[in-house]
Amino acid sequence: MTTTTVTESIWTALCSVMDPEIPAVSVVDMGMVDRVEVADGRARVVILPTFSGCPAIAIIQRDVADAVAQVEGVASVVVDTTYSPPWTTDRITEEGRTKLREFGLAPPTGDAPVLITQIGLPTVANCPFCGSSNTRNDSPFGPTPCRAIYYCENCRNPFEQFKQI
Amino acid sequence: MNDSLIALLTALGDDELVIGHRHSEWTGHAPHIEEDVAFSSIAQDEIGHAAAYYGLIAQITNDDLDRLALGRRPDEYRHTILCERPNGDWAYTLARHWLYDSADALRLEALEGTAHNDLAAVVVKLRREERYHMLHAATWMSRIARGPVEGRSRLIDSIATAFPEALGLFESIDLEEEAVKEGWLPVPSDELRARFAAHAAAGLEELGLPAEVVPPSDQSAEFVASSSGDLIEHNGDGTSGNEIQPSGLGGRRGHHSPDFDELWDEMTLTYRENPGATW
Repeated sequence: MTTTTVTESIWTALCSVMDPEIPAVSVVDMGMVDRVEVADGRARVVILPTFSGCPAIAIIQRDVADAVAQVEGVASVVVDTTYSPPWTTDRITEEGRTKLREFGLAPPTGDAPVLITQIGLPTVANCPFCGSSNTRNDSPFGPTPCRAIYYCENCRNPFEQFKQI
Repeated sequence: MNDSLIALLTALGDDELVIGHRHSEWTGHAPHIEEDVAFSSIAQDEIGHAAAYYGLIAQITNDDLDRLALGRRPDEYRHTILCERPNGDWAYTLARHWLYDSADALRLEALEGTAHNDLAAVVVKLRREERYHMLHAATWMSRIARGPVEGRSRLIDSIATAFPEALGLFESIDLEEEAVKEGWLPVPSDELRARFAAHAAAGLEELGLPAEVVPPSDQSAEFVASSSGDLIEHNGDGTSGNEIQPSGLGGRRGHHSPDFDELWDEMTLTYRENPGATW
């Protein structure tokens, strides 16, 4: 097998490694895979942590290693993490956004904030249930570091948004 | 030259770890459920940030992250005294939260220019998350400042206590001169302190809160003796003549208050009782 084929097979395998906290999306949908390198059967996958305090990263690293080890042509695998480039919500793919919505989690909207001195309410989230933009932010903090809590004034459901960073 | 880099990373990581631990004490006890969740999330972020800084130390020393976080003696920690103070009431918690995160924002802004590439990358990442902490703190400060008399007066008292100690965040780090010379710390601590004093005073004024505060004398006297004299005499740019003097100094040299003994005892208990445990 050529190195290119193995690399492609690894990317395919990564598409079935799900985010442990949002099992509807894969690490590829989330834009968490920075790169895949293969040389003589040795694979190296570089993952970008989403939120730095996210405890799921260790589970993701393990799941990625397990999945890649199954790929034909891979003799050994190393999973590294890096903060460069930084993971931002802009990296979530269109498919990933659709899956988040179907999961009941509003995808991030607007531009990722760059300066923390830009104080303002998080941008509006569209309700994942009825699609309305008539929503209000109840709290920028939710059940995991990456989620904010909203309320939909239209269908009167509380919902969560994957907040933009 | 690595020693001064490690000194900087230790100060940064220890501040985040210890304030994160204090924030986590609101888990299950905050005035309402959203705040319980908010402080728990902020605590998780801050402890994650500490892990990121300790991770950079580990790259150099091969040390273990848990040992760095939990396996040191109290006098080996280099966080500032402000971070170890008990949460007190809701007003003190918010005043400290606002002051700490305002100071951290300025510090991170400066550190984007560090000569250490991996640290610069971490800082870019952390700034995106810290925005939400500042938003949270600013929202509450504004709410309490414009609210009923009791909350407002408690907030004013808390600022009077916490502001001088927040200036202690910019007490010089160990090997400061070398860290500045190497470019690890692109802006010296005393310059950052002057920037922060001016920035925080302007922020308080905007909130309609007094910025010219006199700390209770017993607290200001507590650690001044163990600090270097240059801090006390400092009169930075951009601040008024009646500048607030830092208090609660000594943390950057490992001289902590009895508040930290209690915190350390609890924070490191599991680590000490179950050496080598993994979870």
